[in-house]
Formats: sequence, structure tokens, C-alpha cells
Amino acid sequence: MRPSIRDIVRRHPEGITISLVILISLAFAVITQGNWISIGNLQSLSQFTAVLAIIAFGEALVIATGEIDISVGSVCGIGALTFLGIAPTMGSGLALVASITCGILIGCLNGFFVAFLGLPSLLVTLGTLFLFQGIGYAVTSGFSFAATDSLRKEFIYNVVGGGNLAGINTAVIWTLIILVVLQLIVFETPIGNRILAVGGDAASSFARGVSVTRIKFGVYVVSGVLAAFAGVLDAAFIGYADGSFGVTMELSAIAAAVLGGCHLTGGRISLLGTLFGAFMLRGIQSFLILLAVQPQWYILVAGLIVVLASVADRTLTRFATKQ
Amino acid sequence: MAKTDRAGDPRKPLISIRNVSLSYGNFQALTDVSVDFYQGELVGLVGDNGAGKTTLIRIISGINPPTSGEVHFDGERITKFHPKKAIDLGLECIQQTIGICDNLSVGRNYFLGREPVKRVLGLPFLDKKKIRETSAKVVHDFGLRDTVDVDDEIALLSGGEKQTFKIARAVTFRNRVIIMDEPTNHLSVRERAHVNELAVQLKQQGLLVIYITHDIFQIHRIADRIVIMENGRKVTDVPRDAMSAEALEGIIRDGGRAPAKGPKVA
Repeated sequence: MRPSIRDIVRRHPEGITISLVILISLAFAVITQGNWISIGNLQSLSQFTAVLAIIAFGEALVIATGEIDISVGSVCGIGALTFLGIAPTMGSGLALVASITCGILIGCLNGFFVAFLGLPSLLVTLGTLFLFQGIGYAVTSGFSFAATDSLRKEFIYNVVGGGNLAGINTAVIWTLIILVVLQLIVFETPIGNRILAVGGDAASSFARGVSVTRIKFGVYVVSGVLAAFAGVLDAAFIGYADGSFGVTMELSAIAAAVLGGCHLTGGRISLLGTLFGAFMLRGIQSFLILLAVQPQWYILVAGLIVVLASVADRTLTRFATKQ
Repeated sequence: MAKTDRAGDPRKPLISIRNVSLSYGNFQALTDVSVDFYQGELVGLVGDNGAGKTTLIRIISGINPPTSGEVHFDGERITKFHPKKAIDLGLECIQQTIGICDNLSVGRNYFLGREPVKRVLGLPFLDKKKIRETSAKVVHDFGLRDTVDVDDEIALLSGGEKQTFKIARAVTFRNRVIIMDEPTNHLSVRERAHVNELAVQLKQQGLLVIYITHDIFQIHRIADRIVIMENGRKVTDVPRDAMSAEALEGIIRDGGRAPAKGPKVA
């Protein structure tokens, strides 16, 4: 079959987002008279994007299996609080391990309810979102954790988002590494094939011998780990975390995945698209900041984009899969 | 076709279903079904909609565990029901409604659950070359049009082509049992004849073929034995030559109430 426009759209759902990102970037650059693409802005924008993208990658994996993980915002918060809560006294290495462990445990909890008990993921992860946000607020109860000067000098602290490498925040480098690793896993390994299969048709995958339970459990654990790690990266960058850390991050993560061409019905995802989706959302946010627009408007704009993206997504899917 | 009355066969059955029942909540899908299947026979599993044919094969292929009763495969009692286990034992099921993930390519569907890997630095990566070449050869051997690219999503195939694909996949892996659930649905007259020929060939190669259908006349021509189900029970189990297709049809039409030669369980 000769590839038609349909085939291209079907095989590369992220193409639209990537083209859009380039257009928007040009527009932003022009409107802000170059401020948007100034080195300083790009540095903060890339760090900002990196943290969101890592959470969104985990979200994309969950979406690939046809489920959703709304708890990632609170996992990011717990990851950040654990890290900055422990690091000043016990060092950033141990703090990192503790944070990742929290991510694994919350992922296991979500995975247990969704994969083993078969409960609806929307409800389960909405519950854990509130649960761990609540724990975050309770633990800090008005206090906050901050990085000390000696902590900022620690090597590991700088590796996990606290420092730069060649002028680029280490979180950005982590994002690229994670992108490559996940891209290989999802599209080049048997596990990836099964993740996509489960999202495409769970009953058929099961009949072919795929353990749907294990796959779904696994993606929740990965999502938990990535969200907690993103929390660490962001906390190390900011050097400060309180109970509100990571709040509404889940919405941006889902939005980034959807913008990036991940189908909420499962089975079709694009990680590169998700990265660009995250960049687009953060780009708009920084554009609004440069225009001195109240930051609250970002939520409105993001909401609008997600609604438009889902309409476009369905239209494109219908177009692309029509025979 | 040789008459193969298994009633007095001294050989062990390959699959032995003993007093199997299955209920979904209050709904009793199978009631105390006992039936044996032997290697090298083609068994027609016939019955009206809702008779329990598909439920029975869902148990055999490991999708649902029975509520009570035993399943033995090659003399060994099955305790863990999972499709992976059934596939590993050499049992392939061509399901009517499931078995294909529309979002995956033809090649990836072909190998789903047993993807070939090549090791790179010790890590298992999909052997995409093998996936492409093997699946392309198989689907084209089975008469899918040349324009079908195994890298294309399987959703682009027609209903008949998907059915042909499922049959091709089931028969090309080395197996002992092939279960076909309404395999001729969506197929043209010519394709139907081809599937029936294939079922007979597989049997002749020594496989057990369980062929599920509504169409008693079609299966009566090729089967060695006919098992009729009705309302979740086995009502008839006879060698093909023992009853005419018309008589068997009468049993199905009367909802299994006609006096059958096979054991009717109460």
C-alpha cells in the first residue's frame, strides 16, 4: 500500500502537535519580540517542560493500556516532600531512594486496585490523588521544606535537578534519557507490544496469553516512579517544597499526553508527541507570564486546548482509520 | 472419511472434561458437562445460540476457570486456567469475536504473546525482521491479497481477511489442538470450503480439531463425531455415521428434548 495522508496521520498522530508547536513557538517569539526565545527563558522553559514531560510519560504509559492515573500530581508532591524532607539531614542519595520508593508504593497501590481488583482507574486514582495530597498537607501542616546550602553542593543533588550541565538543567537530560528508554521499551520490546495490545483490546490480548493484570500493574508502578522522580527533580531545582507541591500537575500531564497524540481509549500513544505536548503547555504558560497576564489564565487556556485537542483527536482518528 | 467411533477407544483422551459446570453469578452457563476429545479427530460442537458451546471452549482455552468439575489435558489435571497455559500446551483457539488487537500491525498481532526477540546487550528486543518475514509468508500463503502489508494495522483488513488471518495464525504454530469457533462467519462460499478442507487436513495430520458451528449440515459432512449442546448441557454425543444430519437437526430444533443416543445428564 502506498502511504497516503491517512496512513501518515494514523502512524504519526504526534505530527500535528509537533507542527503546531513549531508554529506557536514562532508566533510567541515574534509577539514577545524575541523574549520568549531568549536564553534565560528557554532555560527555565526547558526545566519546566522536563518535569511535566516525565510525569506525562508515565501518564502516557497508563493511557496506553486504556486506563488513567489521576494521582500523579500528588505522587509528584509526595516525591518532592520526601526528598526535601530527608535530604538536608540524611543526604540526597538516601532521600532520592526514599522518594522513588514512595512512588513505587503508590504505584503498587493504584495497580493493585485497578489491575487485580478490576476497579475503575478514574475512581481509584482520584481517591489516591486526594489521599496523598491530604497526606502532603498533613505532613507539612503549614511548614515547608527547603534545601540547605550544604545540600545544594552535594553531587547527587545537582544530578537530580539541582544543577546544570553545560547550561542545561539536569532534569532536561533526564527527560531525554527517559524518553529514549521508554520509546525503546514501548515500540521495540515484547513488553511494549503487550502494553499496546492490552490498550487496544484487553480481552483479545488475554486470549493470546498476555497477562493483562501484570501489564496494568506494571504501568502504574512506572507511572508512580516517574511522578515521584519528577517531584525530586523539581524540588531540587526550586529548593523548596510545601503541601501544595504538584497540585494540578495531573491535569497538565493528561493534557500533555492527549495533545501529544495519546488516545484516551488506549492502544495508541506517542512519547515524542507527549514531550511536545508538555512543551506546548509550558510554552503557553511562559508566554502568558512574559505578557504579564495573570497566571490563573493559564488554567483556562490549558482547559480550552485540551477540549479542542480531544475534538481534533476524534476527528483525526475517524479520518485516519476510515477504510 | 473413516468412521471413528471413540466410545470404545482404548486410547486416553487428549482433553477430558469431567462434570464441568460454570456459572456467572446467578446465570448457569454450563451444567455438569462431561466430554472427551481424542487426538486426530474432528469433532463438531453444535447447538443453538446460548447453548454453551463458546463457554465450554473458553474453559478449554483457559479464559475462564470452571466453577466445578475437572479438565484433564493429556492425562494431566489442569489446575491453573490461563490462556498462556493453554497456548503453551499446544492449544490454539480461533475465537469468534476476540483474538485480534485492531491497533496493532498484522505482524505484531501474529506474534502477540510469543514475540520473537533478539538480544542486544542482553536485553530482549523485538526481532522485527522475523516478525515481518514470517507473518508475511504465512498470511500470503493463506491467500491474503498481495497488497496487504504486515506492517499495516490489522484494522485495515476486511472481516473475512481477519478471519483468514486468525486461522492462519492458529494453524502455523506447532499445535496439538485447534478449536474453531464459527470459523466460517464473514467468509465467502469459496473461503468456507477452504476452511472446511483445512479442518480435515489438520485432523489428518493428527491434530484434534474442535469445530463449533450452528450449521449441522455443513459439519455433518466433515466431522467424525457430533456433540450437541443445549442450555448449557451436553445432550448428544454420537459418531457422525450413527445419525443423519436431519435427525441431529431435529434434536437441535426441539431444544435437545428428542431422545438422544448420547448420555443425557439431568
